[in-house]
Amino acid sequence: MSKINQAIYEIQSLDTLANENRWVNRLHPLVKLCVTILYIGITVSFPKYNLSGLLVMAVYPVILFVIGEISFKDSIRRLRLVLPVVCVVGIFNPLFDKNTVTYFGSLAVSGGVLSMITLMLKGIFTVLAGYLLIASTTIEKICYALRLLHLPKLFVTQILLIYRYLSVLLAEANRMTQAYALRAPGQKGVHFKVWGSLVGQLLLRSMDRAEELYESMCLRGYQGEFYYGGRIKLGAADMVYLLAWTGIFLALRIFPVLEVIGGIFVG
Amino acid sequence: MSHIHIEVEHLNFSYEKKQPILRDISFFAGEQESVGIIGANGVGKSTLLKLLVGLNLNFEGSVRVEEIPLEKQTLAKIREKMGYVFQDADSQLFMPNVYEDVAFAPRNYGLPEEEVKRRTEAALAAVRIEHLREKPIYKLSGGEKKMVSIATILSMTPDIILMDEPSVALDPKNRRNLIKLLNEFSHLKIIASHDLDFIWDTCQRTILMAEGKIIRDGRTEEILRDKELLEAYGLELPLSLFEKR
Repeated sequence: MSKINQAIYEIQSLDTLANENRWVNRLHPLVKLCVTILYIGITVSFPKYNLSGLLVMAVYPVILFVIGEISFKDSIRRLRLVLPVVCVVGIFNPLFDKNTVTYFGSLAVSGGVLSMITLMLKGIFTVLAGYLLIASTTIEKICYALRLLHLPKLFVTQILLIYRYLSVLLAEANRMTQAYALRAPGQKGVHFKVWGSLVGQLLLRSMDRAEELYESMCLRGYQGEFYYGGRIKLGAADMVYLLAWTGIFLALRIFPVLEVIGGIFVG
Repeated sequence: MSHIHIEVEHLNFSYEKKQPILRDISFFAGEQESVGIIGANGVGKSTLLKLLVGLNLNFEGSVRVEEIPLEKQTLAKIREKMGYVFQDADSQLFMPNVYEDVAFAPRNYGLPEEEVKRRTEAALAAVRIEHLREKPIYKLSGGEKKMVSIATILSMTPDIILMDEPSVALDPKNRRNLIKLLNEFSHLKIIASHDLDFIWDTCQRTILMAEGKIIRDGRTEEILRDKELLEAYGLELPLSLFEKR
């Protein structure tokens, strides 16, 4: 399968995952969005040397992967391009911050190493939180939640339509590269001399498609607002979910949980 | 005279001044008529349909839909009465699943959700695709997309249906289903198509265009049997009328 086809397949399988009938998928999208935003906000707020405090924030993705029946292996596979980028963000920290801040047994650990590790963990946790939201909530429900938060309708419409047409655009790009490959035997990839022409054609076709799409929407009464299947009611389970995770995140942020547990065992 | 009709008078249109696309187009189409528009590539069939729904208002002449002149101020009102099915279903279907796409138009018209549901279910039933209700658009076959495209305009309960090349990319079975479906509709239908057999099976009246003008407007049986006329304007007899060898 070509890389483009693989990308199309991944988008569609993520969509299928979000449409499955699991308890986490049935939660109100606004609640899931708020919990995700709160989790990300609290995770990145940890100080750069507070590794022990940050580690316990893994509880949210771990619980959701297990109880939400979402495959961790599939998530790592899907995020294999993003996670390394996130991990190298703090890679130069050890060069700039060489002061010893703690000891791991007898091994001195510099501030740079510690801040690099906390940065990596923050990146991994926040990306996983975003993935869990997308894997359990369809894009139209995410957009519905964004509108409930009063994000501009133009912005939300853009997100919805980009998601819908990403597959169409990738399929078009796939057809063009296949047509090229069938007339360029023996070549690996696309010769750089043709890049401009291919990209230009893709742009023109995208613009034509966008124009037709807009015409189609206007002919069916579109006046700037997307209406999604009526109001989704907030239930007791949604409130429990929201309040429980809010309490847990705040507790993990305020109290040094690992130290408390360690103190209990050490005495 | 029934209120459901389209009246076009002396319609002229061009994108650039020196290259007219449509020249002096005039015709009247009334209730329950099924009108086919045929012609070689580039004669202006699709352009004519797009002008009828006001996708471009820079034309000369007049277009009246049920006595309402087609102008910027009347666009919304006229578009409520007309359903337009694009040639490419991917341009028509932009919501995540079939139900949401068919419900798109009724919701935009501010109808209560119960009424939206009623119209959506009725539209799905009319094209016999109730089983596709929750299916994501990207999982639909070409024939299914075409049926869903038709459902998306039926939920608007239009008086007039315009279709641009409706049989393109349909396999024989889906094409036959579409013909049967269109023949069940009592709407005023205007269908632009290269598929002369399709026009033969669905339209009682045919307008032959060439070089942006109407060459002949009359009964389908007369126009599509006139071999010399068709060949003079870059067409051929429908395949079903060829003598079998």
